[in-house]
Amino acid sequence: MEIENSCRLKVLISEEQIDEKVAFLGKAISRDYAQVRDLVLVAVLRGSVYFAVDLSRNLSIPFILDFIGISSYGGGMEHPGAVRITKDLDVNITHKNVLLVEDIVDTGLTLNYLLKKLRIRNPSSLRVCTFLDMPEKRILDVPVDYKGFEIPDAFIVGYGLDYHEHYRNMKVIAVLK
Amino acid sequence: MPVITISRQFGSGGEAIARIVSQRLNYLLLNRATITEKLKEYDVSEPEFSQFDEKKILPGDGDTSELEKSYLRYLEALHNFFYDLAIRENLVILGRGGQVLFKDFPPALHVKVIAPYKNRLQRVQKLYNLDEAAAARLISEQDQDREEYLRHAFGCEWFDLDFYHLVFNTGILGLEEASDLIIQLARSLEHGNIVSRKDYEEQLMKESLQPGVVLDASGSPPAFAHPSEEEFARMLDFYRIKWLYEPKTFPLQWDSEGNITEAFSPDFYLPEQDLYVELTTQKQKLVWRKNKKIRRLKELYPDINIKIIYGRNYRSLLQKYGIEEKKRS
Repeated sequence: MEIENSCRLKVLISEEQIDEKVAFLGKAISRDYAQVRDLVLVAVLRGSVYFAVDLSRNLSIPFILDFIGISSYGGGMEHPGAVRITKDLDVNITHKNVLLVEDIVDTGLTLNYLLKKLRIRNPSSLRVCTFLDMPEKRILDVPVDYKGFEIPDAFIVGYGLDYHEHYRNMKVIAVLK
Repeated sequence: MPVITISRQFGSGGEAIARIVSQRLNYLLLNRATITEKLKEYDVSEPEFSQFDEKKILPGDGDTSELEKSYLRYLEALHNFFYDLAIRENLVILGRGGQVLFKDFPPALHVKVIAPYKNRLQRVQKLYNLDEAAAARLISEQDQDREEYLRHAFGCEWFDLDFYHLVFNTGILGLEEASDLIIQLARSLEHGNIVSRKDYEEQLMKESLQPGVVLDASGSPPAFAHPSEEEFARMLDFYRIKWLYEPKTFPLQWDSEGNITEAFSPDFYLPEQDLYVELTTQKQKLVWRKNKKIRRLKELYPDINIKIIYGRNYRSLLQKYGIEEKKRS
């Protein structure tokens, strides 16, 4: 992706900063879960895949990696329906230690729904790790146990975050103007 | 829309009460027969429903078995189905953890129906034409299944009475009398005359400071003042966040005779989060008046939890979901 040639993109977080932060989070999580068995990393499709994979490479403890997908709000329609799980977990998380891995937490609406859905499956513990946190946009107070960067309200792309499926594979995080 | 949930001991007559109440109130009854039919739309087949309905599946050793995965998918579909319907219809939900799923749902009435064992035994023998031993076995199996289902699906105890507004003992009270009482309360619920325990406690707390004025708790579709509020309400519906539109007005200023001269009504109240939300689509430099009101609100009512969504944050929210901003017509 030619970031320099695009006047619409401004790099916010570089590849080096990303690597450094992921390594830091990996260490912190490995330390906190060192005495715990049955850690399940639950990555939220599709945005968090890049972060989840990198994070998992930085863990020095055993874990199971699984994915969950939910439908997104489309808006504009008269009857948009309700959020649904589009891809469920393959792993039973009952009595296991779950770490939900998000690319970004902004309004808290998605995370609030996911936490509710996972809680009813009775995991031993349920924590949240997000690479980006956008508190300015928060509507619901949701717990965030690990976070990479706190960023201002802007349209962000790269490192899993897309704009109409573009920019997802960028190795940096940029603001789309 | 109002939801009545009826949890019942097997053989207590809870199902008959649910039928009477739903027929007289013209509410949709969600029992085994109706759920079986409608759940097909949620990709749950009839055999699957029969296998999992109000039952617990014991976790296997090691990896998740296909059975457990199907069970979790079934629970998800069932709960989605209930929530989807509750937005559109008045419901009577028989069992299936309705009292937990709709615990903080504002227009909801939660009922438990019990009866002495002797009465249940007689009723089951008569109803299913069984001898005493077979009826006893059936009661024991059914009650155990329901108890374990609640524990497994929600981590809750079936006999936790905190969930219920009413508990009827049909060994003492007839089915008709119990149904009449439920119907009477349901009608009050339709008119917004029953508040949830949380609302009640909150109201008491506020009244001890400076009362907010309850304006509308009817649950009828509100007339939104601005298209942005309607869009925001849709977003909340989509994410299954319960909300009330402008439910309270908070007095902010009084004249020397105690008349209210200034008040503020936040746009939304989210009961599950105990949070007020104020949406403003005005430009930042024009919101000073609103900011001033909110500052005053926080001074007078320090326990109120309020979040303001400013124009630029709202616009960025629309951008995130790919929505074009609608202007007031």
